[in-house]
Amino acid sequence: MESDIILVIVVATALGFDFTNGFHDTANVVATGISTRALPPKLAVTLAAILNFIGAFLSLKVAATVAKDIVDPSTITMTIVFAGLIGAIAWNLITWYFGLPSSSSHALVGGLVGASFVAHGFSSISGEGLLGKVMVPAVIAPVLAFLVAGVSIIVIYRIVGRLRPGPVNRGFRVGQWASSGLLAVSHGTNDAQKTMGIITLALVAHGSLDADNFEVPTWVIFASASAIALGTYSGGWRIIKTMGSRIIKMDPAQGFAAQGAGASAILAASHAGFPLSTTHTISGAVMGAGAAKRLSAVRWGVAGNMMIAWLLTIPCAAAIGGIVYGFTSIFGDGAAGPLIVSVVSVGLLLAVYLRRLQRGSVLTAAEA
Amino acid sequence: MPVLLGFIDGQALWQTIWTGAVAGIGVCIIFAFTILGAARSTDMRLEDRAVAATLYAVLAVLGTLASFAVVIYAVVLITTK
Repeated sequence: MESDIILVIVVATALGFDFTNGFHDTANVVATGISTRALPPKLAVTLAAILNFIGAFLSLKVAATVAKDIVDPSTITMTIVFAGLIGAIAWNLITWYFGLPSSSSHALVGGLVGASFVAHGFSSISGEGLLGKVMVPAVIAPVLAFLVAGVSIIVIYRIVGRLRPGPVNRGFRVGQWASSGLLAVSHGTNDAQKTMGIITLALVAHGSLDADNFEVPTWVIFASASAIALGTYSGGWRIIKTMGSRIIKMDPAQGFAAQGAGASAILAASHAGFPLSTTHTISGAVMGAGAAKRLSAVRWGVAGNMMIAWLLTIPCAAAIGGIVYGFTSIFGDGAAGPLIVSVVSVGLLLAVYLRRLQRGSVLTAAEA
Repeated sequence: MPVLLGFIDGQALWQTIWTGAVAGIGVCIIFAFTILGAARSTDMRLEDRAVAATLYAVLAVLGTLASFAVVIYAVVLITTK
């Protein structure tokens, strides 16, 4: 009975994390399409939500990586998964409060690793998976998106540079319908799968799935897809209000190149099973499209903040995850620990959220 | 350092890099030619150059078809392998 209660808390927390992921990342997915006036804001957000949902069903390789290749599934308990999630949510909240372009994905991995380390030591962590499937792709994907967007926009300008701007801009605005859609699909594919992986790990720990041979259940796919899509839709309405002068000014060709580069990098990584930061990848593509036209058009401070976030996110989320696991385990293996932490976390979350709202909205990487 | 390099799945990483680069740049080039064809076709038609207008229109149509084909192929690849 107690393990069922913990499972419900973990699944609810994971879906809550997925919802905030969609909420937080809406700007990254729709900003370029709206800023070039390719898509009306309401339509852009609605399409992004629908395509996020569809994208979540395309592949399960990232979910498999999260569930099998970062920590040893046979040593995982539901309390570890819960502590990892709280570590990720807490770090996301801290970085959101201070306006750092943090990665929800890295925070999730960090939280899980930290909680697992405190529970079972180094032996429970897969160094190979952590380094080869998370940390290296985390650095390479934004650089890849930056370079692809940069090269693409240079080639595009070579091909259409002598044409009248009117038809060219109209043409690329039409193209942005497709590139925006692909970006939303790729976001749903990579990000929703991380939650699927986490819930699957919890089900393994609960005993509902066999640790040696398991697959992501269909209800987990559906629930994760729905949570991220709802988050994207809900986040969009706030973004619409803050949309406009805060986004990098781009022409439709740059928007098309940035979205195409971001989508192709994320989809290629999803196909290989790499759980990347979609925020960093899309930001890298936007910067690449901007830098290829004029270096000064890019706010390089955002790139610096991304570097700081890269360096800090996994260790900090791991530290919080480890501390939360340590605190939770004081109350034993039952539901008391997760329940107490949940109540305290919800209270803290509301307090910080209200305090931050009083200070005004925060820019995300793609907005800045 | 060699131990750390051993952790990296070089084949998967390299596949991600080259497929991401080829798909991203390829779609942009194809779509740029689509716009070139459409815009030039209109210009040629206004100048009463029917053959050139038709050729550019064909380029636009082929570019559109190729763009759709690349996107559909990418989605099929992701969902089937």
